[in-house]
Amino acid sequence: MSRFLAAAGGVCLLALAGCATSPQAQQALEQAHAAFDAVKDNAEVLHAAPKDVIRAGESLARADRLSSYSGSDDDVVHFAYLSQRYSAIATEHGKLTQNNERLAALELERQRLQLTLREAKLLSVQQQGALLDAQMASVLTSNTDRGLVMTLGDVLFDTGHSELKASANRTVLKLAQFLQLNPRRIVRIEGYSDARGDAKMNLELSRARAQSVADMLEDLGVDAKRMRVQALGEAYPVAENASSIGRAQNRRVEIVFSDEQGHLSDER
Amino acid sequence: MSNRLFAAGVAFMFLAGCATDPIPAEQIRLTEQAVAQAKAVGAVEQMDELVLAETKLAAAQSAIADQDYKRARVLAEQAELDARLAEARVLTSKSEAQLADLHGKLNRLRKQLGEQQ
Repeated sequence: MSRFLAAAGGVCLLALAGCATSPQAQQALEQAHAAFDAVKDNAEVLHAAPKDVIRAGESLARADRLSSYSGSDDDVVHFAYLSQRYSAIATEHGKLTQNNERLAALELERQRLQLTLREAKLLSVQQQGALLDAQMASVLTSNTDRGLVMTLGDVLFDTGHSELKASANRTVLKLAQFLQLNPRRIVRIEGYSDARGDAKMNLELSRARAQSVADMLEDLGVDAKRMRVQALGEAYPVAENASSIGRAQNRRVEIVFSDEQGHLSDER
Repeated sequence: MSNRLFAAGVAFMFLAGCATDPIPAEQIRLTEQAVAQAKAVGAVEQMDELVLAETKLAAAQSAIADQDYKRARVLAEQAELDARLAEARVLTSKSEAQLADLHGKLNRLRKQLGEQQ
């Protein structure tokens, strides 16, 4: 008996609730409610997109109201759809605001680390003392066609690798300082290799070495926009490739400086 | 005579106006603006929300041609929000890419610092 009553009650309730809405409209309403519930109490979303949250609520209320009239299914679906869209837009704005706050915090952290790294490198340069000068690790030349060119020799890299050794610190620091003192100058960082082995691999190694110089400069605070990286592989050797000394001279990274107005010579 | 014709015309327009909505010109303009804005921030044609927005906008415009102004308004309203969602999604994914890039740079810096000490 009580089971029958409960069943009858259920049917009555369904009949009342469903009097004006098709299953499709009902489903749209439920989805819109679920989407709105997810944003209405989310402090970040409310903060980032208060208007969209309000509109989501208004559209939902309208859909709810319309669902009690017969023959308004299309309008119910429409306003439920608008409400859901407003909720989704608000959610995205919430995420965006959060990401931007995170970006700002990470950017500060980056500047702090750049400073620390600069100090650490300065310290290690002082410790290494005059040893580096004797190595002639880098040579600055002035070339009429290409402008000011600095050559970073093979000794600054591990053999076959693209990472800069600690002994490159002094050179790279000087470079970073120079670029900070000359904010309008830009550079092209060109990687070269010797002619031994696979040409494609050599091109890649030359690119990787040039890129790691650019990365290091960026780590020290030089804006990446001021640097262009170019791989030239085996092209333009400065010495013959027959001897190991000649090959070592050919494995190099050249840094071409622009003039003070930021005009760079043409690529090779 | 022409007066009576005019009155009949007005009456007819009034009756017809009862049954139909006005042309949703302002809404169409807003929708077009939202679609243009989504594209301006870099929404690509393959994006679901942008496809929806453009399809509905086109359908709204042909509904206007068919003088079905209610349908045109409904479609245009939905299309506006589709486009705004497309725009918001593009901006979020851009900021995510920036975050990933910055994380990479920070890792590189920390690695450098680790080697330095």
